[in-house]
Amino acid sequence: MTLLLDIVTTAAILFIVSAGLLAIFGVLEIVNFAHGAWLTVGAYCAVVTGGLGLNPWLALPLAFVTGAVLGGVTERLIVRPLYARPLDAILATWGLGIVIGQLITLWFGRDVQFTENLLSGTFHMFGTSYSIYRIFALAAAVAIGLGFAFLLEGTRLGLSARAIIMNEALARALGLDTTRVRLVTFMIGTGLTALAGVLLTPLTSVDPTMGVSWLIGSFMLVMVAGSSFGALAVACLVFGGAQVLVSTFISPILGGITVAVLCALVLRISSKGFARV
Amino acid sequence: MFDAVETDTKLTLDGVTSGYGPVAIIKDLSLSIRKGEIFALMGKNGMGKTTLLKTILGLVPSREGEIRLDGRSITGAAPKVLIKSGVGYAPQEQPLFTDLSIRDNLRLAVRSDRELDAALEHVFTHFPFLRDRLAQKAGTLSGGEQKMLILSRALMLKPDLILIDEISEGLQPTVIAQIAKALQAERAESGTTILLVEQNLNFALEVADRWAVLKLGEIDDSGIAGPDSRERVLEHLKI
Repeated sequence: MTLLLDIVTTAAILFIVSAGLLAIFGVLEIVNFAHGAWLTVGAYCAVVTGGLGLNPWLALPLAFVTGAVLGGVTERLIVRPLYARPLDAILATWGLGIVIGQLITLWFGRDVQFTENLLSGTFHMFGTSYSIYRIFALAAAVAIGLGFAFLLEGTRLGLSARAIIMNEALARALGLDTTRVRLVTFMIGTGLTALAGVLLTPLTSVDPTMGVSWLIGSFMLVMVAGSSFGALAVACLVFGGAQVLVSTFISPILGGITVAVLCALVLRISSKGFARV
Repeated sequence: MFDAVETDTKLTLDGVTSGYGPVAIIKDLSLSIRKGEIFALMGKNGMGKTTLLKTILGLVPSREGEIRLDGRSITGAAPKVLIKSGVGYAPQEQPLFTDLSIRDNLRLAVRSDRELDAALEHVFTHFPFLRDRLAQKAGTLSGGEQKMLILSRALMLKPDLILIDEISEGLQPTVIAQIAKALQAERAESGTTILLVEQNLNFALEVADRWAVLKLGEIDDSGIAGPDSRERVLEHLKI
């Protein structure tokens, strides 16, 4: 039972961490290599909230707003001129990630920061006890997935985003404000990633480089998922499950590289990965 | 021929040059289209017909000259500005979001969902088959139905000016007749001005008030649609 819960909750955490990257890649076709930095920004919002003695849950809206605003500035000044040059955009966002990491180091130092737990304790089910927070992470992943499903399928912004993914030239010819849709999508993606950073704080240490370790896994999962949130959920479940199994039965060190290796294998076999899901 | 009085003029192109990269496709072209007029622009493949429509809509930048809509310069205006100003567009290349439903394809034409029901009712009067098939994916429609959907989307907001790019291409005569009827009805009801880019001579001359032939980005000939038009246009379209 614990193993099953580990698989499901690990998949949930991977989904939370990768969703913002997918939102940006799916609509903008830009790989935001500053993704790890936005996770770090979010985590430090939890540090700030704790430092001010505020309710730790306030870190979630603070991180979303901070990530979205900084993302908006980034899109306008750095990413927008590079939409036609995606390789340059990767380099630019990679560089931006380094700058953000250094700014955080300047402000907060290199030391590991401690944050207050959002939820603590365990609950008992079927004769086993399990972390309440990991179950909350599962619920958060479901909420984020449903939120995105609603945004894409139930709103005009989502319809415009889908139209732009399918045929941007036609969307533009029909008068859609593709510039605005791109800006809002980038802001949602970075806001969500910063929010994911807060959700990671009970599970990982908070330091200026914490996002880097999550970047490669997220990147590989998004490459496998294409622009589909359904495909991302399946990829997280399959590869997250494999990570838990390898970590449990073979070696935690090998478990750490399982997601990246399996994603690379899948992409070697099929360049579209799970994109048809 | 094309010096309509400005107050009666819907669209004016004054010495417009445009193209892709260093190549000029449209060369110093001047043209006036009157309010409520159906104007057919014909020409062989590669003569610049589609580029001209894209230039008017701001999808291809104009290098020289001026484009005016209702007397106001729209040179360099973005498509979103023109669509808001009452311009409809029925493109020829990749004209539908094939994985979206018919409803969503039509929904993209309105600015707000509050306008959707009234706009749908408007296009149902021209193409009633759409009413019962709104949930169907656009890509599953037949070629003729897709063309009617493309035109419907352009008509959703009852535009003052519609730019239509080779809507009759590959269609059977009955479908072309339905489209012709819709265009004439739209003009009769709303006074819509229509710029029709066409290679189908019969269709173009049946619905148009005036015509012009484009050759290598310039107006080669023009006239009022009438009994002698067919032979004159045909002469220009010979390979």
